[in-house]
Amino acid sequence: MALLEGFSVAMQPMYLLYALGGVLVGTAVGVLPGIGPAMTVALLMPITYSLDPTAAIIVFAGIYYGGMYGGSTTSILLNTPGESASIVTALEGNKMAKAGRGAAALATAAIGSFIAGTVATVLLSFVAPYVAEFAVQIGPTEYVALMIVAFLTVGALLGASVLRGLASLALGLFIALIGVDALTAQQRYTFGNPFLADGIDVVLVAVALFAVGEALYVASRLRHGPVKVIPVAGRWTNWMRKEDWKRSWKPWLRGTFIGFPVGTIPAGGADVATFLSYASERKLAKGERKKQFGKGAIEGVAGPESANNAAAAGVLVPLLTLGIPTTATAAMMLVAFQRYNIQPGPLLFEVEGALVWALIASLYVGNLMLLVLNLPLVGIWVKILQIPRPYLYSGILVFAAMGAFSVNFTPVDVFVLLVIGVLGFFMRRYGYPIAPMVVGLILGPIFEDQLRRSLAISQGDPTALVSTPIAATIYVVLIVIFVLSFWLRKRQRAMESEVVEETPAAAVDLKEGGK
Amino acid sequence: MSSSINGATGGSGTNTAPARPLGELIFAGMIVCVGVVGFVAGAQIPIPPSAGVVGPRAFPFIVSGIMVAIGIGLVIQLLRGHTGAAEEGEDVDPDVKTDWLTVGKLVGFLALHIALIVPLGWPVAAAILFFGAAWSLGAKPWWRNAVIAVVLALILQFVFAGLLGVSLPAGFLLEGVEIFNG
Amino acid sequence: MSSVVLGYVPNALGDAAAEAAVHEARQRGATLVVVNTTRADRLVDPTYADDDDMSRLQGTLRTSGVDFTVHHGTSKDTAAEDVLDAAERHAAELIVIGLRHRTPVGKLIMGSTAQSILLGAACNVLAVKA
Repeated sequence: MALLEGFSVAMQPMYLLYALGGVLVGTAVGVLPGIGPAMTVALLMPITYSLDPTAAIIVFAGIYYGGMYGGSTTSILLNTPGESASIVTALEGNKMAKAGRGAAALATAAIGSFIAGTVATVLLSFVAPYVAEFAVQIGPTEYVALMIVAFLTVGALLGASVLRGLASLALGLFIALIGVDALTAQQRYTFGNPFLADGIDVVLVAVALFAVGEALYVASRLRHGPVKVIPVAGRWTNWMRKEDWKRSWKPWLRGTFIGFPVGTIPAGGADVATFLSYASERKLAKGERKKQFGKGAIEGVAGPESANNAAAAGVLVPLLTLGIPTTATAAMMLVAFQRYNIQPGPLLFEVEGALVWALIASLYVGNLMLLVLNLPLVGIWVKILQIPRPYLYSGILVFAAMGAFSVNFTPVDVFVLLVIGVLGFFMRRYGYPIAPMVVGLILGPIFEDQLRRSLAISQGDPTALVSTPIAATIYVVLIVIFVLSFWLRKRQRAMESEVVEETPAAAVDLKEGGK
Repeated sequence: MSSSINGATGGSGTNTAPARPLGELIFAGMIVCVGVVGFVAGAQIPIPPSAGVVGPRAFPFIVSGIMVAIGIGLVIQLLRGHTGAAEEGEDVDPDVKTDWLTVGKLVGFLALHIALIVPLGWPVAAAILFFGAAWSLGAKPWWRNAVIAVVLALILQFVFAGLLGVSLPAGFLLEGVEIFNG
Repeated sequence: MSSVVLGYVPNALGDAAAEAAVHEARQRGATLVVVNTTRADRLVDPTYADDDDMSRLQGTLRTSGVDFTVHHGTSKDTAAEDVLDAAERHAAELIVIGLRHRTPVGKLIMGSTAQSILLGAACNVLAVKA
């Protein structure tokens, strides 16, 4: 079986080492404030160019999963979610930590993440080939439909403002247009500049937006005020009591089966899954346990953390089989593939079967590593949080500049980095989400290609775009996703404000010193 | 996209700074402008006879149209008082006034870095960037900052140029040193 | 009136230093000036005492009977600068700090507050070993 071959690749000592490096870096950046997995993958991309594709993809997969684990650590210990999908974990996890149950919260999060990650990877191994088989049969018209779904869900659903999300998407599409048209070899928006004729490198834009834009934005409003760590009491062998296991295993499984499907559809990624899991655990809890919600219920950590990791695996289904990224990190993974001239899509499993199965096998391996590493290493992650912000963000800038320079080894690229970084600063400042721009930038050229192909087939008749049954179905699904997610968001906001109101202690914990 | 629950109570709907809508208006206006430029420049893309039903101009026109429409929509929203919610983050204090000086310093040091890569070599330029950026952000004391900057630049040069073969120019100071050159 | 400055950190070493400082202040009939500040430039600062730590310390100081004042909060300067600054302002005759072993690498990365105080102080410094 192909998966076994994948394992035989992923288990090679060299690749195990790469996977270990990936999960360590991933967890560290998940823990660190201000650095997410998307930024890390972007920063590492130019400098991992000398690695072979399998090694690079394994590193990035490790970062991807590791980031999820790291995020839960900070939300439980510090009530500062490392990434958006961990917000719900902070609700219950931090209460548990305050009540001296931090070790149990960390343990249930880590074990839940492991179980969910593993089960979801199994689901991925079985589902992905079928989706790919289906995807081989669909034509450009259906592709256009799928990409419109991705554009609109990422653009309109991820941020707080629909218009700003779409503006960000359009900016990405526009930058993607700069350069030479692939079909007619005409220069577009190059204004006679030979440098622009090559187009603007996706990695450059991503590093600029994620790293430089973030560093400038943080610099403009640097936070002052420490948060104290809640010490993790006891040894990790007795972190989970018998009752904790009994209360955790069902939420783990429920979280997994909520998270995976939500991850596969482009409806906002992992945070929707964590919210759904939290809401359902809260509803299913009875009696005494229900009262514990908002005060540190272990189910409220176990479920969402599992859902979070399962969704992360689910996101890989459309990414690998259709070539459609639905989160910022997935978008960066797609770029990683493209840099090695590998186009994720229906043919990926046939053309690059060995690589894909090595990637999937490394996900299993990475999950196991994360489980083993995460609990004993909590002390180290907490140490990382003591790095002063000036050094952290200076380091990010140096890395970004190095990455930009090594794209073509010319300072001009670093200048482009600076310009787009300033753009990223203003986008953050005025509430424009970054992810849609990156997705637009990456999918733009593919979208245009498919659009022109389908219009060529229909001889310019745009109604052909909606007339095939599959395409029409996709558009109907799009409308359903929109209605559902607007409803969900309303509920999510209502619930979050409700929980925060119930327990005002959750809201303010950033007390500054007396004087 | 990351947000913190800590900020949940700190006035989310209250955008008190009166200067902000102006900046936002300019930004939204720029989106409209880019769209308009997109139309004008798009109309000058030559269409070769070989082009099919949909030539090289169609998609640029669509994107430009979307930009103009969204930009105008944003301007209208802003004039009605719906300002954007600035992104939250763990290291970001939403209640602090924008520190333009620090942002300016960082941009300045990046520009300096760009100017120095070729004449002085990458490690020197990187050390100056790190030192300058950390100083702008308030690192103290200065000598520790300097030590970290130099050590980091040398380590990066060694790992990426020496070991991984990324061609970062070592500069005239380190040109003769084997381990810093790929 | 003479004074003794204590550079406090919320751990066993800091408590040992506090004990020694109380002893010195009592013997000299001096005011005890407790200094604990943070630059607040990082998410986690274990050397910064939170309000619980501070009220616990103040409790012990009150029962000890010495006269004391507290400088506690965020500051633009480093901890060493704040301790030296307090010593100068109160014309301290002694600074009490805790001293622990640091590897050379750890000293480079984290810096040595103790070293800066030892070198920068105008008065005697009592370094307490836990």
